[in-house]
Amino acid sequence: MRSRRVALGITVLVSALVTVPVGVPAGASTQPAVRAEAANQTQILRVGVTQEIDSLNPFISITRTGTDILRTAFDFLTVYSQEDMSPVPALAESWETSEDKLTWTFKIREGMTWSDGQPITAEDPAFTYNLMLENEVARTANGSYVEQFESVEATDEYTLVIKTKVPQATMTALDIPVVPEHVWSTMSDVGAEPEMPMVGSGPYTITEFEEAQYTKMKANPDYWRGAPKIDEVHFIYYRNADAAVQGLQNGDVDVVNRLNPTQYDALKSDPNIELVQAQGRRFNEILINPGAATEDGKPIGSGNPALKDIKLRQAIATAIDSQTLVDKVWGGYAEPAAGYLPPIFSDFAWSPGDDVKREFDLDEANRMLDEAGYEMGPNGVRLDKQGKPLNLRLLAHAGTNIDENGGPYIVGWLKEIGINVTLEPVSDTQVNEDTTRGDFDLAFSGWNANPDPDFVLSLQTCANRPNAQGKGGTPDSFLCDEEYDRLYAEQLQELDRDKRVDLVKQMQEVLYDRATMVILGYDNVLEAYRKDAWEGFPLQPADSGVIMNQQGYWGYYGATPAGEGPVPTFDENGMMVSDSSGASDTDTTNAAGEDGGNTGLVLAIIGGVVVVLLVGGFLFARGRRRTADDRE
Amino acid sequence: MTSPRAASPRALAWRRRGDAFAAGWRQFARQRSGLFGLGLLLVIVALAVLAPVLTDREGLNVINATGGPLEAPSGEFPLGTDRQGRSVLLLTLWGARMSLTVGFVAALLSIGIGTIIGILAAHYGRWVSAGLMRITDFFLVLPSLVLAIALSTVLNPGIGTVILAIGITSWPPSARLVRAQTLTIEARPYIERSRALGGGHLHVITKHVLPAVLPLVFVNTTLAVGSAIVAESTLSFLGLGDPDPMRPSWGSMLRSAWLDSAVIAGAWWYLLPPGIAIAIVVLAFTMCGRALESVLNPRLREG
Repeated sequence: MRSRRVALGITVLVSALVTVPVGVPAGASTQPAVRAEAANQTQILRVGVTQEIDSLNPFISITRTGTDILRTAFDFLTVYSQEDMSPVPALAESWETSEDKLTWTFKIREGMTWSDGQPITAEDPAFTYNLMLENEVARTANGSYVEQFESVEATDEYTLVIKTKVPQATMTALDIPVVPEHVWSTMSDVGAEPEMPMVGSGPYTITEFEEAQYTKMKANPDYWRGAPKIDEVHFIYYRNADAAVQGLQNGDVDVVNRLNPTQYDALKSDPNIELVQAQGRRFNEILINPGAATEDGKPIGSGNPALKDIKLRQAIATAIDSQTLVDKVWGGYAEPAAGYLPPIFSDFAWSPGDDVKREFDLDEANRMLDEAGYEMGPNGVRLDKQGKPLNLRLLAHAGTNIDENGGPYIVGWLKEIGINVTLEPVSDTQVNEDTTRGDFDLAFSGWNANPDPDFVLSLQTCANRPNAQGKGGTPDSFLCDEEYDRLYAEQLQELDRDKRVDLVKQMQEVLYDRATMVILGYDNVLEAYRKDAWEGFPLQPADSGVIMNQQGYWGYYGATPAGEGPVPTFDENGMMVSDSSGASDTDTTNAAGEDGGNTGLVLAIIGGVVVVLLVGGFLFARGRRRTADDRE
Repeated sequence: MTSPRAASPRALAWRRRGDAFAAGWRQFARQRSGLFGLGLLLVIVALAVLAPVLTDREGLNVINATGGPLEAPSGEFPLGTDRQGRSVLLLTLWGARMSLTVGFVAALLSIGIGTIIGILAAHYGRWVSAGLMRITDFFLVLPSLVLAIALSTVLNPGIGTVILAIGITSWPPSARLVRAQTLTIEARPYIERSRALGGGHLHVITKHVLPAVLPLVFVNTTLAVGSAIVAESTLSFLGLGDPDPMRPSWGSMLRSAWLDSAVIAGAWWYLLPPGIAIAIVVLAFTMCGRALESVLNPRLREG
């Protein structure tokens, strides 16, 4: 009897799991009516997100969604422009460097205020950076930017002077949210979760946060660039992407991103939905463990020693076809592999010339292995130099598109060249732990590159290898190459952009040759929004960019409701170009005295979220997705 | 009855068994649902066994896929294709091999453990019984799915792990059942006689107790295969099954369909075949099991 009950229970569970995407919108489908009514009163942009927020503490948060929200709430000294991601003024209206490139003087804009009315002065960035210099916890998320800082000082109310130990190329791209001194100086624990509402300086301020449910932001009417056109931004959490897409179709959310190709294609037929296909900042790669070692060169991990042979690694790289992965796994919404840096950063991006390029060719890969002395053994598996069969593990993130769908291709191709690969799909945290400890042969990985490539380049240096406990570094492929490290040090201190670009390209050629990782491709970011409710959003970069997860706040800041004029663009000073003051005025008058409708909407949203959570509760609890992939 | 000559005891025993089997079969054959379930099972098992003869396994390899992504059913692909362009029919067919193998082996493992523990506990009684039953209780109160998930997370992924995870989490109910049956059998006079004539533990267990509980064990196994298949599908759906792309199971097909947003794309041909296949196989095993149960337990017979 019992076994039958168990069977029944399991059946119910399986069917519940399978029907989650269908079940969610059914429960939430009463919302569009409420929404349409409320939309006339309070303008709320509802953003569907599928990643839990690790923290809303600007010193701690490293997740995609967390940093996205914090970027909107706290302005920076300088910010990446909407047009082309070049640094433009933000809190600092101008800056200059000394002759020796070691002293930077930022002129802070006068007349700006925090959302609580206190003035923003040079003391605030000085406090923020000094806190990071003194306090290890405050360095958690963005510590790499201040590593070479000598001192930070506010010489007068509107002048900030930063001295660095060595010339630093990232000084106009400090991706550090500046916090208000009068709030944070009284906090006993810098790493604690901040109290709501948060005092900020961005276009919106964070007012409410409910873990695994939503984060709410209100427009900052005193924002120095001008108040946004809308009143609120809500980030609504969905447990899986299908549910978020259904939410978009039903009008429960206005924008979703990171769609998979199937979802994107399915939304094409919906007349109310506008699709955005943007070049991504992410490169996807397969790491090939070249013999992991700690920072002082002691071998760690359980990597297959055969992979120390560069010839074997190059043969593996030859047997991986980026174009097929682009077509089949990414449904064509990606760009085939070239250099280490994604093509969106057109000046730094490198692609191999004909003399060094490895074309996908299984016969050539077989020939390379024959030449290198890997003889074919029984069962079509080659033997390594010790006569052991070449069996490799391929570590993959369970549930991730490229890993789950691309894995079988890698297994198939490498089988053709006599290498037996076993897929090991595990949780994201497990992949992170195993790759950091060097416990892998092959592993899927990938990073989001910033407009300044310093961070992702630093991943491949000797200094980034972990200590003996497997901590203290963020190793990627465990490459430790003299030539690469020399070029890395050179580019870091090179302030002439053209020369630096050249050095960065040389570094990518070295990486390509060493083949400790194979670039698989650069997937497009697929987004969709409701065009019946929204005119549009400023994209970054303007021609082929994204709405969400920008290197800035332009998308949310310039959100334009349907019928309220053209979508604004932002000039080289980051100021709004198109005149939309009329529209903003209408908004503010409308915003007065419609609390009733607002409460109804909030209740409806909470109801929807509760349904999502109840059904989502069946799902096998996955760990928080604080993964290497999602780090910024 | 038919033989005029006096047969040897062994031949007699075999003839008696043959007669019992024939009587049992007649009883079984009287139940239409049981016959139907058996027929269904034979067809499915035949298809699974013959899969390598009927089809080319290389069609499972994504690098050889010929179809477009999520193609609707057509002459070339009777059940359409998956995201990678592989035939869903081919995947379902090969999925049967995986699901049935895991189902059978895991059920045997589970029933095996259950039978041994149940018989030992009932036969030796006292502290052996107390000890073994407390262990059984311990496993009984643990939610078996959660335990199986934990096990397959810790161990290396693969078919062996799945079988082990299902087998060692689902035995307690059968242990209790077998223990109860053993107790009633050991209370019968012929066991006492056997003991009085000097039969040891081993003799009593293997010659008298085991044959008497085996029919029950057999029925139980038939029913357990169904739940083992469902458990395998659940684990595979959660991504804890065998990750080898050349060894798909129905659960892993459902997982791919879910990950590839088959629902949003309206690709019912990707989602339904594995789901229906699971339902049919479990139904077939249950129908067989029910029919067998009524053969062995006259009280369950109608009329």
